[in-house]
Amino acid sequence: MDIRVITYESTSAAGINVSELRRAIDTRQSGLRRNDLPGSSIDTWIGKVPGLEEIELGHWQSRNNALADLAYRQGELEATVEALKTQVGSHRVGVVMGSSTSSIDRTEQAYTELDDGSLAEKYRQAQVHNPDGPALFVAERAGITGPAVTINTACSSSAKAFATAARWLTTGIVDVVLAGGVDTLCLSVLHGFHSLQLVSSNPCKPLDRNRDGINLGEAAGYALLIDADSNPELADQFRNVSPGASVSLRGYGESSDAHHMSHPHPEGAGARSAMLGALATAKLDPGEIGYVNLHGTSSRANDLIEGKQVAALFPSARASSTKAWMGHTLGAAGITEAIICIDALHRDLAPGTLNLDELDDGLELNTSPENTEIPLKYALTNSFGFGGNNCSLLFEKHLR
Amino acid sequence: MEKTDIPPLLIVGCGTWSPWFENWDAFVAKVSGGELEEHGLKAPAASVIPGTERRRAPLPVKLAIEASTQACAAASMDPAQLPSVFVSGLGDTQLTDYMCRTLASENKALSPTRFHNSVHNAAAGYWTISVGCMRSSNSLAGYGVSMPMALLEAAVQANNEQSPMLITFYDAPVAPVLQPLLHNRHAFALALVVTPTSALDAAEDSKALGTLRLSSGAGTSSWPKLGLPAPLKECYETNPAARSLLLAELLIHKNKDNPVTVPLSNGTHMALEIS
Repeated sequence: MDIRVITYESTSAAGINVSELRRAIDTRQSGLRRNDLPGSSIDTWIGKVPGLEEIELGHWQSRNNALADLAYRQGELEATVEALKTQVGSHRVGVVMGSSTSSIDRTEQAYTELDDGSLAEKYRQAQVHNPDGPALFVAERAGITGPAVTINTACSSSAKAFATAARWLTTGIVDVVLAGGVDTLCLSVLHGFHSLQLVSSNPCKPLDRNRDGINLGEAAGYALLIDADSNPELADQFRNVSPGASVSLRGYGESSDAHHMSHPHPEGAGARSAMLGALATAKLDPGEIGYVNLHGTSSRANDLIEGKQVAALFPSARASSTKAWMGHTLGAAGITEAIICIDALHRDLAPGTLNLDELDDGLELNTSPENTEIPLKYALTNSFGFGGNNCSLLFEKHLR
Repeated sequence: MEKTDIPPLLIVGCGTWSPWFENWDAFVAKVSGGELEEHGLKAPAASVIPGTERRRAPLPVKLAIEASTQACAAASMDPAQLPSVFVSGLGDTQLTDYMCRTLASENKALSPTRFHNSVHNAAAGYWTISVGCMRSSNSLAGYGVSMPMALLEAAVQANNEQSPMLITFYDAPVAPVLQPLLHNRHAFALALVVTPTSALDAAEDSKALGTLRLSSGAGTSSWPKLGLPAPLKECYETNPAARSLLLAELLIHKNKDNPVTVPLSNGTHMALEIS
C-alpha cells in the first residue's frame, strides 16, 4: 500500500496550523488551559482553539463547522485541493471526515433558545443538526462533488477515515481523498465524560504513575491522499511538504474489543489486534517501527492496558502520548495524531510525552518527556473509541 | 475512468424490522399484496443483547441489532466472524434531545449510561459486544445518501479483504423538536450479509438470494420511485435507512441487465443491479 500524503494541516489548542504545532512540540509548550467554556463549571483543563466564535458561516453556523473551516484555510491545503480538482475533476475527489460531536454544539445552543418549544428560525439547519454535518460542510466548503461521508466511531473516527480513504483510492472510486476530522468542545462532551468520572481537574499526564483522568480538547485536521500505486504521476506531480521525502500510509488495522461501551478490553486484545493488523497489511515486522504515538488519553485504564501492549510489541521503538499538547480531541484525535506521526517522519523527530514525570510502575515503555531527534522510517499511531472501536495506522517515509 | 465497477457480491442473508413487519419473510409476504397493518410493537426484541444491557438499549440500537441478528441467521454465518458496516442517516435524536434539554436546564448532570449510548456507533458497539465480534466495525452517517454510501463502504471492504460482511441500515423516529428539519416518523432497519463470490464454495453459492453488482460513476442521479403502499412509500422517502427498500425490491424482483441508479453525491451516482 502506498497512499501518498500530499499535504496536511492541523488546528488545535497546540497551534492554528502545522507550523505552530511544530513550534509547540519543539518548545514543549502545552496548549491546555483551565476550563473556561461558557455555561460549564466543571473543574478541569481543556484544549480550546481561540477565535472560533468570530467565524461566520451563515446557514452552516456551528462551532464544529467553524473549526473545520479554520483548519481548511491553513497552509497549502485549499490551494492544493483546488489544483487537484482542476486536474482530475471535482467528482473524482472524495471526502471522508471523522467526528463524534458533529455539531451538537449548535443543537445544544438551539435548545437554550427554543421558541415556544420549537427551534428558532436561525437554528433550522437540517444539514447541521445531523451526524453527517462534517462531511456535508467540508464537501460544500471545498467544492468537492465526489462521494463524501462522515465516520462516527467515537475516538477512532478520523483514524478510520484513512482506512476508508485508502480503500476508495485503491478501488478507483475517486483519484483523491480529502481525509480528516473535526470535534469541538461543548457541554455534552464535558458533562458526559464528567459523568463517567473520566475527566481530570489537573493538566493531563498521559502514561504517568499519578495520572488521574483526561483533558478534553477540540481540533480539526486534514490529509490529502492519492494512491501512488495506481496514480504515480499524479502523486509525484503533487509531491508534498518537503522536497527530500514523501510520506505514505503503508498499512492500517481495525478491530473491536467486544467488551464494554466505555471501558477497554482488560488485556488490550482489540488494541493488539489493530496494531498487528496494521503490521500485516504493511507487511512489516514490529521491529521496523521507529516511533509509536499511543492513544494515551491519560485515563487510568487506557494508558496501562495500551501501554503494556505497545511495550510488548515495540520494545525498541520510541513511544509517546502527545495528548498533553492539545487534550483528547475525540473524533479528531485520529487525524491530529496521524499528522503528528507524518510530521515526525518528515522531521526525524519523535515527540516526547509532555507532562510525564514518573512512568506508571506497570509500564516498561521506551518513552520520556523529551523529544528525540532520531532517523525515522516507519511510525504507528493508535486511536481507540467508545464501543471498543480500534484503529491503528502505519506510515512510511520514502526518501527521494 | 468515468465508471468504476466493484466485483460482484452474493447476498446470502437478509433481516428487517419496521412497524409493519418483523422479519424478511413477513416483509416479502406483505409487500407482495398482503395487508400493510402495523403490528403495534414499539421496538424489536433484539434478544441477543444480554438482559441488563437490553433494558437500557436505545431504539436505534435495538433496530440495528434485530435486523443484523436475522441477517446472520438467514446466512447461516457466525456473527462473531463478520466485519460490519452500520449506517444511520439521522442518528439518535431522542438521546440528542435528552442531552440538550438537560444541558439547557439548571441541573446539567447527565446519565453516564445515556451518554455512552449517545455515541453514533452505539449500535456497532452493542452488536460487537453482544455477539463477541472482534472484527472491524464501522459506523457511518451519509444523511440522504446513507444507503448507497454504506453499500459502497461494505462492498469495497468485502472485496479488499475477501471477506463476507454485515451491512446494517437503521433509523428511528425523530424527536419532536428536530422533526420539522429531519422529518422521519418511522422506525426501520434492514441488514444484509454479503460475500465476495470467491469466498463461498459452489454448494453454498446456490443458497445465495442474489448477486449484487455495483458501480459508481460521474453525474448525480435522482432516487427511483418505488411502487410501495403509502406508509412504506413515506418511509422510503423520509427515512434514510429505508432507502434500502430499493435493495429489497430488487432482491425480490431482480433487475438483471437493467441497472437502477441512485445518487451517491452531488457529482456521482451508484448503479445497482441484482440478478
